[in-house]
Amino acid sequence: MSAPRLADAVVDTVRRVVLWVPDWPVVAAAMEAGIGPQAPAAVLHGKGLMAVSAAARAAGVRRGMRRRLAQRACPELVILGHDEGRDARSFEAVAAAAETVVAGVEISRPGLLMIPSAGAARFHGSEEALAEALMTAVAEEAGCESAVGMADGLLAAVMAARANEVVPAGESAQYLAPLPITALAHAAMERAQRAHVEDFVSVLVRLGLHTLGDLVALPGPDVLARFGPIGAWAQRMAAGQDVAPPVLRRSAEDIAVEHTFEDPAERIEQLTLVAAEVAEQLDRALLDASSRCARVRIGARTVTGAELERVWRTDVGVRAGAFAKHMTDRVRWQLEGWLSGTAQGPEPAPLTALRLTAEDVVPLGREQAFLWGGSSGADARAHRALERVQGLLGAEGVLAVAEQGGRSPRDRIHVLAWGQEGVPPRRIEHPWPGHLPEPAPATVLPIPQDVQVLDAGGTPVRIDRRLAMSAPPTWVRLQADPRDAKARAAHRHPSSGHVGGSDGPVWASPLPIEAWAGPWPVAERWWSDDASRRAFLQIAVRDEHGERDLAVLVAFTEGRWVLEAIYD
Amino acid sequence: MDTRQARLEAARAALAAVEGRVGATREAWDSPELPLAPTLAQLLPRGLRRGHVIAVENSTSLLLALAAEASREGSWTAIVGMPHVGVLAAARRGIDLSRLALIPHPGTQAPAVMGAIVDGMDVVIVGEGLAVSDADRRRIAARARERGSVVLAAQGWAGAHMHLMVERSRWRGLGAGEGRLRERDVTVAVKGRGIAATRRVLVALDVDTQALMPRPAMHQAVAGGRALDTEVA
Repeated sequence: MSAPRLADAVVDTVRRVVLWVPDWPVVAAAMEAGIGPQAPAAVLHGKGLMAVSAAARAAGVRRGMRRRLAQRACPELVILGHDEGRDARSFEAVAAAAETVVAGVEISRPGLLMIPSAGAARFHGSEEALAEALMTAVAEEAGCESAVGMADGLLAAVMAARANEVVPAGESAQYLAPLPITALAHAAMERAQRAHVEDFVSVLVRLGLHTLGDLVALPGPDVLARFGPIGAWAQRMAAGQDVAPPVLRRSAEDIAVEHTFEDPAERIEQLTLVAAEVAEQLDRALLDASSRCARVRIGARTVTGAELERVWRTDVGVRAGAFAKHMTDRVRWQLEGWLSGTAQGPEPAPLTALRLTAEDVVPLGREQAFLWGGSSGADARAHRALERVQGLLGAEGVLAVAEQGGRSPRDRIHVLAWGQEGVPPRRIEHPWPGHLPEPAPATVLPIPQDVQVLDAGGTPVRIDRRLAMSAPPTWVRLQADPRDAKARAAHRHPSSGHVGGSDGPVWASPLPIEAWAGPWPVAERWWSDDASRRAFLQIAVRDEHGERDLAVLVAFTEGRWVLEAIYD
Repeated sequence: MDTRQARLEAARAALAAVEGRVGATREAWDSPELPLAPTLAQLLPRGLRRGHVIAVENSTSLLLALAAEASREGSWTAIVGMPHVGVLAAARRGIDLSRLALIPHPGTQAPAVMGAIVDGMDVVIVGEGLAVSDADRRRIAARARERGSVVLAAQGWAGAHMHLMVERSRWRGLGAGEGRLRERDVTVAVKGRGIAATRRVLVALDVDTQALMPRPAMHQAVAGGRALDTEVA
């Protein structure tokens, strides 16, 4: 719930303009269905009507009515379906219309726009002139009626908009005092919050508080003690004060550049030229819009119709000239990866189209820097060094890592090429029952290696489906270091059992197990192709000189033992 | 008393004059220090100096532990040529993964990669088996000294400032089929340039922070058991 945040926040009350489109869900639905504003219409959600048009209201249809009751009151009523996505989508047109009058608006919820009035009113001469300009713009460009109100503080401004009034500065509290306490619900912007506030209001009404003035007159600490954060929030709202400053929406949209190949291209030289050209186009487009972007999405379509897509971070806004080259490299790496088939993704195929989209576009000079001050010189230096190494080794040569959820040490790390954007696919917060205990091993083999775990008689230990071990493990035989000439010679020697050499692993001499723990079973993804069933064992052995303990993590899977990690 | 004080003052002044003339004052000679976990401070008496090369043998954990505190304080770390490194262990030891880059397979480009990385990163951890000659190593060390980065090498490095070798390690916590790896003590042999003798230092490299049973209670239980035995005997 957001109420504690509301109570903590103490912010200056801002004078604001609220533009309210009455019955927005009906207006949006009717516009989409092609019904005129004069026809009686209503939007049905669940069992009751959630919004009713003016014509229907005149015929006696009310919000919250059941469908049958409403149709009895007004037989020609058009009932429309509820769709939150549509409401939000269509409201963009209204916001865009309002933005032709003022720069920067906050969409509080579909149907309600909030605009800080100070600068805009000065620009248009007076608050009345601003209101007139807003209503005209919305009527002409978005094609719907709206009401505009101005006041200090959120609730007063919303109520002023509903009454189409301008409340003079500093009179919000007096304006709100005689209003019924149910008005509080209009200050709640989300549906969950609204239900919460309506519950709270019903309690207040039963306690005999009928106007906002009654609530304000109560001592603040008592209200907080009795009702908690929501009480404090409501009292602040009713007094005509703000709990949060308006959040202005960003108006910039993503900028995209697309190149379609005349003949499908598969040679990397050909693609490199195109990559450079497309990157330069994007650079120019960004420069024309005098903005920069935080991320670039590189997408390509192959002749088979498959879409390849990857998002890269760009941290080069400050070095303007480097942008095109930077992006060219990334496009080239990515295409090389796809065409050579090294990167994951669909089958390599000739490309028909290449598309670069700049995302998170912000005006030049408004980049999101670090929380404390600008990006430090050390950070820029490190980024440059890593980019240079990527230039030497290719994109996948430098890796960024993040922790993710999982059970074995290998699964718990998510690896991406440096600079590429992506979200770890598995959440850390999930419980992951059976994950291996701390400490984490410092050496994790990328590909598990065969290992022998033997009992006292020298036969391999086995673990059955019920996790019973055939015998306690006594010896462990690791693979010999490939540089160990002695072990290689012993492997070739006839006494090893394979005359003429064998391709099997070269084993080191067996080491006695000092202590062990397990088996810890992990059965993962049994429903899918990459199912795995393993039983882990932690084993501590002593090296040949008896000095160093060597702790290893081994797993029994599909009838054999593998070395997963070393605690070195 | 007074004359002794005066003689000390005079001696100090003379020493300062000589240092000034030779240009070897201690402040100029000592490069700035990167933060180091207090438990590891006894391993590196001069601290984790920028521009130093430190060779660490036989323990990846010790390498990560040396880099951890600096990374937590905002340094950038790169791990070159260690495809096996356990990143989760690095994170648990305190290395900030958002400021960590891995270059697992530099291949034949290793000298060029090392040069670029030493230029840009504060702490560079170098794995074994890189295609880097001794001459390249000298060049990399010189570059590190110039740019003020620390090189931590996972194998011997000719001309390293410090050489740490894990000689002995003991794990605790495992039993015969029960328990888990909990705590580890290692004995590290410390050699260094300009340090005559090899010192041996005992370090608790892994400490169990989530032990269920506090240690003294366990000791008491064991002692109680012994007492019972003797009584029965």
